[in-house]
Amino acid sequence: MEAYLVAMAIITAIYVLLALGLNLQYGLTGLTNFGHVGFFCIGAYTAALMGQIGIPWPISFLAGAALAALAAWPLGLVSLKLRDDYFAIVSLGFSEIVRIVVTSEQWLTKGVQGITGIPKLLGFLGTGLTQSLAVLALLIAVNVLAGLANRRIVRSPFGRMIEAIRDNEEAVKALGKDPAGFKIQVLMLGAALAGVAGGFYAHYIGYIVPEQFIPLITFYVWMAIIIGGVGRISGAFAGTLILMIFLEGSRFLRGVIPFVSEVEMASIRLGIIGLALVLFTLYRPQGLMGDYTKR
Amino acid sequence: MTAYAELMIGGLMSGLVVGLAALAITLVFGIARFANAATGDTMTAGAYVALSVSGATGSVIVGGLVGALAGAAIGVVVYFLIFRKLAGRSSVANLLASIGVAFIIRAIVGVIFEHQQQVFQLPLVRPWRILDIRVQPSDLNLAIVAVLTLATVFLILYATPVGRRMRAVADDPGLARISGISPTRVMIALWALAGSVSAVAGVMYGIKTVVTPEMGWDMLLPAFAAAILGGIGHPVGAICAGILLGTIQEMATPFVGFTYKLAISFVVLLIVLLVRPSGLFGRNEGAR
Amino acid sequence: MILTIEGLTKVYGALRVVDDVSFTVPSGDIVGVIGPNGAGKSTLFSLVTGFLDAAKGQVNLDRKPIGSLSPVERARSGMVRTFQVPREFSHLTVWQNLMAATPKQSGESLTNLFFRPGRIREEEDMNSQKVDAMLDFLRLSHVAHTPAGRLSGGQKKLVELGRALMTGARLILLDEPFAGVNPVLIEEIAERIRELNAQGIGFLIIEHDLGALTRLVSTLHVMDRGRLIASGVPAEVLANKQVREAYLGGTS
Repeated sequence: MEAYLVAMAIITAIYVLLALGLNLQYGLTGLTNFGHVGFFCIGAYTAALMGQIGIPWPISFLAGAALAALAAWPLGLVSLKLRDDYFAIVSLGFSEIVRIVVTSEQWLTKGVQGITGIPKLLGFLGTGLTQSLAVLALLIAVNVLAGLANRRIVRSPFGRMIEAIRDNEEAVKALGKDPAGFKIQVLMLGAALAGVAGGFYAHYIGYIVPEQFIPLITFYVWMAIIIGGVGRISGAFAGTLILMIFLEGSRFLRGVIPFVSEVEMASIRLGIIGLALVLFTLYRPQGLMGDYTKR
Repeated sequence: MTAYAELMIGGLMSGLVVGLAALAITLVFGIARFANAATGDTMTAGAYVALSVSGATGSVIVGGLVGALAGAAIGVVVYFLIFRKLAGRSSVANLLASIGVAFIIRAIVGVIFEHQQQVFQLPLVRPWRILDIRVQPSDLNLAIVAVLTLATVFLILYATPVGRRMRAVADDPGLARISGISPTRVMIALWALAGSVSAVAGVMYGIKTVVTPEMGWDMLLPAFAAAILGGIGHPVGAICAGILLGTIQEMATPFVGFTYKLAISFVVLLIVLLVRPSGLFGRNEGAR
Repeated sequence: MILTIEGLTKVYGALRVVDDVSFTVPSGDIVGVIGPNGAGKSTLFSLVTGFLDAAKGQVNLDRKPIGSLSPVERARSGMVRTFQVPREFSHLTVWQNLMAATPKQSGESLTNLFFRPGRIREEEDMNSQKVDAMLDFLRLSHVAHTPAGRLSGGQKKLVELGRALMTGARLILLDEPFAGVNPVLIEEIAERIRELNAQGIGFLIIEHDLGALTRLVSTLHVMDRGRLIASGVPAEVLANKQVREAYLGGTS
């Protein structure tokens, strides 16, 4: 039971990183990134491949973050030219392309078989509860750091400007400020956070396959920040926690309800996430926790 | 050479599927003003309904018709429950909700029909050989179905009062409101039409390949690309762009591999949006 | 700062929304453009500030052509516009709206944020004093910490004016500053414009309503269906027969 709770806490903490990144992009700047899982995937594969050849995890995680940010750069340039909804489609397509690439380039990624035997994070502590707790502690430290960095950004002139861009981009231009640089930096920063999340994921789970990086993950994260309140840093934490309790709760539920197979349960989970997306858009676009934005 | 000709026929068939899906997207985009990401999963639902009905009745034609009706029903229900209430909200809010709808449809399909891939039970027919090129009789039948579907859609759009109103709303939503066109009736017709066209595309795709819960979602990117390449709100453009894109994808498969053919759609989508956002046949609608 | 417009033209399909418009805004002057709805006034602003591309014609700032500059660059060179429908940053407070408009902030760079927090704090303190003074001048101090989205229409126009002033603009283009504003506030805004003008800031003002504008401007231009149909001192222009027919619909 303890092992299970720790495992769940670790996954939650990984998703918090994803949510913090998306919150920066959509919540604060208004960038409709529907391809967040693509950055997660790039970070995971980079860290996994580098880990396999013995490169220490801090370096491989940073490399994953850097590559994810680098991939976000051209996407940021594209975002400057496109309407919100077109950028949403393009970024969704981008994440699918990332998945196609890791599926196809078998010489590097082993294709659909995926990468196995990724060195365990803090493996010198063994494989028991101690190791898991250490990983969790490390993740919490990273979460706190990322949260504080986010807060510093939000409370700075930079944060003020990205919120101004979200509220009215034309007015920002009319004041002689160029939104372009801000948007690209924010997209890259959010991607880097997702890249770090990917590194933790790969090195905690120990194996990765392309199927783990489907668009559904992106919308899990969207759901988390909508539940938590779009644009709120604390919401990224709270929303992710609520989402994870739901996702994991549905696993427990399967033990209680008879005649429901795991495949059916996966469908039901998908349906409930879909329903939540619809209901929140209809009735609570500002999220459960607060009335921060009205979009 | 014959291999290319056969590839070309395969490409045309897949192009018709992409074109029909793009038609459904462009109709909704042009009139309800958002990119409907549930189009793909409506295809899937149509294919599954058609599959079970044709299994029960032994007739693929009856199955296809019921599938199309199911698609229309899904469209209308989704409109009444969700998109009617989101009219006037941002296109991103609508798009997000349509992704929710896509997940819900796929979940229902998954629970009812399970996840194993299924195939339409069709009688095996020896392919014709024309100039040494193999032609499947079923392809010809599917092409006829596609042409009939298109004829029906264009007849509705251009020769019926409700179709004319639809095009009027697409051209200018404000003007249409002033002139007393009931938006609800136009919208019901739109969603029924878009839903059934999606379902037909799904049935065709299911007959050509296999039926799985993910089949429609995977068609979404090519369909979006075709709708944008054809110019949003431009039905003829969507069809032509779909056929073009489908053919290019199949023809390119021997060179880029099976998995990368989807990437072609993405590249086309990106280039069109950046270079000519109004598409090949489009009007003044910009990408920003 | 002198603004010169020469033969500016914008065409949508067969419609000439702005048709061969030329005039000058002398340095430190207040110039008005009036005309019925749909005369092309707001389009003219967008052409001048670079938000739309002109089909023909030239825009010069201090005798230098600026036609190739982006809206951002034109604003940086000291000519800032407001919008007909106020574009306040609705989730930011009034104070934050004005702070955001301050040019050249080192806190807008992410690296400075984490490596030079001291310098940013100093700058913020300095800018904050300027903003407080500006809010005081605009009589907005009592709503300084209210989200701008909750203000009245007239207050939002003042926030836009305040933002434009914070950029250090020498020429401000106001798009219907009095529309939908209550009469008391109209006098208030007009008074502020006069005071600013006394400090040397030039204004180009579009207005649909005549009242306050005619008492404010030295020169009045009248637009109708994309064309300038009259120019001159307000009293003369308003006496013009053509203007009365086009603009006042021949009512008196």
